[in-house]
Amino acid sequence: MLKMTHLSKVYRTEVVETYALRDFNIDVKEGEFVAVTGPSGSGKTTFLTIAGLLETFTGGTYHLDGIEVSQLDDNARSKIRNEKIGFIFQAFNLIPDLNVFDNVEVPLRYRGMKAPERKQRIMDALERVGLASRAKHYPAELSGGQQQRVAIARALAGSPRLLLADEPTGNLDTQMARGVMELLEEIHREGATIVMVTHDPELAARAQRNVHIIDGQVVDLAEDPRFHAHVVEARQGKVAAE
Amino acid sequence: MKLHPMIAALRRHKAGVVLIALQIALTLAIVCNAVFIIGQRVSRVNRPTGLDENNLMLVTQSWVGAPSGDQPGDVDKLDSMQQADLAALRAMPDVESVAPINSLPLLNSSWNGSAALKPGVELREGNARTTYYFTDEQAFRTLGLKLVAGRAFTPADVQHRGFRDTSTPPVVIVTKALADKLFPDGTALGKTIFLDGGSSPSTIIGEVDRLQVPGTGSWTNSFTWNATLVPTRLDAGFARYAVRAKPGRLDAVMHAVPQVLYGVNRMRVLDDDSVKPFAQIRQEAYRSDVGMAILMGVVCLILLGVTAAGIVGLTSFWVGQRHRQIGVRRALGARKIDILHYFQMENLLISGVGALIGLGLAIGLNMLLMKHFEMDRLPVLYVLAGIVVVMALGQGAVFAPARRASNVPPVVATRSV
Amino acid sequence: MFAYYFELALRSLKRSRGLTLLMVLAIGFGVAASMTTYSVFRAVSGDPIPWKSSKLFVPQIDMWGPTGRSPDGEPPNAMDYADAMALMRAHRATYQSALYRISPSVVPADASKHPINVGGHAVYSEFFPMVDMPFKYGNGWTAEDDTQRSAVVVISGKLNDKLFGGENSIGRTINIEGKDYRVVGVTGDWNPQPRYYDISNTGGFNSGSEDVFIPFQRAIAVSMPNDGNTNCNEVPAEPGFVGLQHSSCVWMSFLVQLDDAAAVQAYRQFLDGYAKDQQLAGRFGWAPNNRLRDIPAWLDNQHVVPSDTKVSLLVALGLLVVCLVNTAGLLLAKFLRRSSEIGVRRALGARRSEIYAQFLTEAGMVGAAGGVLGLLLTGVGVASVGWVLPRDIASLARLDLSLLAITLAVAIVATVLAGLYPTFRASRVQPAWQLKSN
Repeated sequence: MLKMTHLSKVYRTEVVETYALRDFNIDVKEGEFVAVTGPSGSGKTTFLTIAGLLETFTGGTYHLDGIEVSQLDDNARSKIRNEKIGFIFQAFNLIPDLNVFDNVEVPLRYRGMKAPERKQRIMDALERVGLASRAKHYPAELSGGQQQRVAIARALAGSPRLLLADEPTGNLDTQMARGVMELLEEIHREGATIVMVTHDPELAARAQRNVHIIDGQVVDLAEDPRFHAHVVEARQGKVAAE
Repeated sequence: MKLHPMIAALRRHKAGVVLIALQIALTLAIVCNAVFIIGQRVSRVNRPTGLDENNLMLVTQSWVGAPSGDQPGDVDKLDSMQQADLAALRAMPDVESVAPINSLPLLNSSWNGSAALKPGVELREGNARTTYYFTDEQAFRTLGLKLVAGRAFTPADVQHRGFRDTSTPPVVIVTKALADKLFPDGTALGKTIFLDGGSSPSTIIGEVDRLQVPGTGSWTNSFTWNATLVPTRLDAGFARYAVRAKPGRLDAVMHAVPQVLYGVNRMRVLDDDSVKPFAQIRQEAYRSDVGMAILMGVVCLILLGVTAAGIVGLTSFWVGQRHRQIGVRRALGARKIDILHYFQMENLLISGVGALIGLGLAIGLNMLLMKHFEMDRLPVLYVLAGIVVVMALGQGAVFAPARRASNVPPVVATRSV
Repeated sequence: MFAYYFELALRSLKRSRGLTLLMVLAIGFGVAASMTTYSVFRAVSGDPIPWKSSKLFVPQIDMWGPTGRSPDGEPPNAMDYADAMALMRAHRATYQSALYRISPSVVPADASKHPINVGGHAVYSEFFPMVDMPFKYGNGWTAEDDTQRSAVVVISGKLNDKLFGGENSIGRTINIEGKDYRVVGVTGDWNPQPRYYDISNTGGFNSGSEDVFIPFQRAIAVSMPNDGNTNCNEVPAEPGFVGLQHSSCVWMSFLVQLDDAAAVQAYRQFLDGYAKDQQLAGRFGWAPNNRLRDIPAWLDNQHVVPSDTKVSLLVALGLLVVCLVNTAGLLLAKFLRRSSEIGVRRALGARRSEIYAQFLTEAGMVGAAGGVLGLLLTGVGVASVGWVLPRDIASLARLDLSLLAITLAVAIVATVLAGLYPTFRASRVQPAWQLKSN
């Protein structure tokens, strides 16, 4: 689904070159739920912006759903973002001028969908996140958790193949965070591929697989038995809690 | 306050800064030239004609089937008709005095020629252009002219002749401007001049202080004050009479004139335009000048308003954009007044650059207008005054948003978004 | 999709009412000032007889020589009697007419009414077909009337209303300067501005009506004086109107119709040949220096468009430019304030062209609103030019459908142009992952 090989990203200024990612390799299979972790400044967010086609990269290859994306022009990249990727931002990034319904509608509009189909999808998506009754509300009238649910609805409405989440619970309190996390897990169970960046080990533990980034490179902790045990333990803890 | 960080900050809003500076520059260029045009028109309109314009009116009339002037005896017949009109008008109770005259200042209907010191000098060559006022001995009292040398006409000086007759008068009175041009080194009184390249001399018997020509177009600019008074009644199928009413009786006279003239002879044309107060002649003559001044004034007002509004709008945006930054500055100890001064200083800098560019544009626009449209050179004073005005405008416009900026509380710095 | 952009623009404009109002006012005033001055300019710079102006020519002959030329070497802009008559006799053009302005009095048949003054021209019979004169009743007079100096007259519909109550007055008589004239034609609506056929006596624009036309030779025979400019290079040797006819003073206009380039060429040669003959005869002491200009070139040469009108238009266009720069600045502020929104839209798959469309729609709507305001203000402006401009010119400025359409189009196109750079900047906003503060 998402495959990066020897990928590098260099930021150049007049005086220095900084490698944000170097010889970066990752392969996310269809239907996986991957958590990407790492200290701040390690390159997590750079990875996500490149994965989401928000930025270009310097070297290596990136296949998304079988398509090599480095050669695509701006319009083609827009089309892929619109049709294949759903974004969930830490800061929700809802458009304050638009109400809930209109916010969810934005990606569908750019897909050129007819009005009845749009409406059906929006209401389905809002139903899904439990906010169908708030369609006419503006973002400012909602709590943080509700805003993030709207953002998730917006990401889901277009039925994307890949969901990219950047610290989706970072701006939420514990209780709201739990709700959002459960929603993501439910979506995953229904077959979506999810890549989530987080620095919260507890959250990361709830994903199927963890990818750890340090200094712009993937360090495969899954092969570290201690870490593996920790993950298993956390899973069991979760099961016990349910 | 240091300029360097301010300039660095402005570089981040390059486009906005350039647009405001450009707007100020264009505003300055247009306003300077427009105000200059207004100033020129106002001074044109305000120049005195040399007449006492109050209680003065002009009657223009023509006789139906009057003698053409080409047959023997025609001229005498026409003259007696004119004399009858003059007598009737002079007999009116509210009339102070009446003079026949071919035109008046600002009337834009003129008889122009030239005055020279030698006989037979060709027109348009090395002589003074002048306008002629053909009138009689009552002209001084009627027009309110001020004699500065010599004497006025007496009834004995006054002759009459056909309209297209070209004989030259033995005596004339000229304006001081014309006298000074003809005789720069001494008095013109008693000297002789030759009119229209003729061979018979005319003696100057008096000088009037000031009397404008009838024409107001730019073609008369070279001889605006060169007038020659000729003591001759012109006889033609039409005649003009300057009438001075007794103080406050102008309306009454204007109202009564048609009846009086029809009483003398019914076969004549007197229409709505025939009896005009001088005030109306003045208004019609300067209508386009006043109109141009008003138009330029309106344009200036709109320009200054739009530019001020633009500065308010863009500065407000910048204040909003730098909300947090301002909070941080306040948290770090900046006083309200420091924030206020920062934005005022920033505007001063932008307006200053705009004004400098505007200075060049103003002069450029003036040169363009001079080249194509008979404009004079823009005095530097206008541009300097314009710079002061746009700078003041900028400061006035920036005050409200700058004060709003200074009221941003320091606590803003601690909020995340 | 346009409906969507329209809706988004409406929302955005409503959100910042103050800024929107500011832009609309700036555009409205800028466009209105420009269009008001343009309406005046258009009125005075138009072609008075567009279907034929390239076939009508004004000949100029240099009868004064070097001492009488303008500084740029131009001969006088009018004709003296002798040369005008020579050109009439030669009769080398399809149509030709010497003409001069007259202002005779008309005595009403009703003895209780006072005589009135009327304006008009003494012309030849060929004048009427030359200017395509519309007739309500009757027609122009014949060439025979010209030579016979017949007492016939063509009057305006207005004068016909006044004297005959608008009835068909062909064959009836009117009293002009004490003599009876038989009416042969009543003109329809005819008021060309500028008065291309007699610029030298009208200065171009004249609100006075053309009430009577009298055969040229008849007017000369009865010594009907000219009402207009007389310019002399030397003082006439003889007095009176007859003296004027014998002098080199210029006081009449001349108009000819030449149908094709060959005819124009032939007429030029004829004029030069005529001037050469005069030189040989000793009347002209200089080489031929003639001019032959068609109506558009003639109007341009005579500067009939007042320079005030041009300066006003120039200044008003400057005002419009300032208003646009102002709008560009405000749009830039408005659009960049929404950088985060743009970033999110781009992240959600909006193409750059879609961002362009969205923001240009918004600029276009500001322009449309400004245009509507501009329409109202232009209406006010055109209605009030009568206050500030000379009447002859102000009365020509009109508000018509084409002016309204131009006003709206200028407002929208100009605002969209002003919005191009801000939109360009908006479209360059990168798809955003994080909502960046500051």
